[in-house]
Amino acid sequence: MRTRSIISNEGSGARINVTPMIDVVMVLIVFYLLVGQLAIDRKASIDLPSSSTGINQTQEQDPIIIGITADGSLSINGNAIDSNRFTGEIEGMHTRAPGTPIRVRADRDAPFGVVRPIMHQLRDANIRGVELVTEQRP
Amino acid sequence: MNEQSKQSAEHRRRRPLKHRNVLTRSSRFGPNMTPMVDVTLVILIFFMASASIAGHEWFLRADLPEIQDPDLVTSGFSLPTPMLSADLFIRDEQVFVRGIGDDPRPLQSVIEQIRTMDPDSANGLILGIRASDTVPYWAVVALHDAASSVSMRVAIR
Repeated sequence: MRTRSIISNEGSGARINVTPMIDVVMVLIVFYLLVGQLAIDRKASIDLPSSSTGINQTQEQDPIIIGITADGSLSINGNAIDSNRFTGEIEGMHTRAPGTPIRVRADRDAPFGVVRPIMHQLRDANIRGVELVTEQRP
Repeated sequence: MNEQSKQSAEHRRRRPLKHRNVLTRSSRFGPNMTPMVDVTLVILIFFMASASIAGHEWFLRADLPEIQDPDLVTSGFSLPTPMLSADLFIRDEQVFVRGIGDDPRPLQSVIEQIRTMDPDSANGLILGIRASDTVPYWAVVALHDAASSVSMRVAIR
């Protein structure tokens, strides 16, 4: 039995193949979803400072990323957190996985008065070293 | 009957010729590459765009030293680690550094001085950075960057 597509109409000679269009549209949708997500992350607006030195190795272990915006808002791995709960949360995470690298993504224009208490809280949580995230200077 | 066959033959002759494209016909025998090419190009553009948006990230290692009781330090038998101390503060809307050299100097001048140090002699030194509340974070990172460029370790205090 011959199969017939609803869209293709061989008899009339007009044949619209919608497969490429659907493919492209779906990929565009995924693209915009991802870009939207990136934009939301960037909305947390962390403009990194630049540096000419640094390491760019990626460790096997997923790092704990602490975000500090210019206005002092805090986040751990992208989730906003209140400064009162910060120490307890980071201490818990560090205790569960002691070797996990800690990365500090702080805004370049954040006053050090905002960053210092975080560093002190990390030290109080028995963390002896952090990695400061910067943008590679071209 | 004979008349009918004549009519149908006449009708067939009057029908317009069906356009046939050799390429279209031949493409039915192979896989249609168009969707794959479309998707591949879009994915390529996506990765190109995201790479330029994201930029490249570096990580600067910083120690978080424990605050030690000075009496305990002096009573210990271990030799203290050679440590430079830099205090950053704002004066006349400029970042100044106290502790490296005699007088407080602008940050840029201190950075240039550190960068001219011999990495072999600077290796093993620890630069302890302290900054006042109003100093922007980029200034701390800039000093850290300069110290790292001559293999100094950096501690945020």
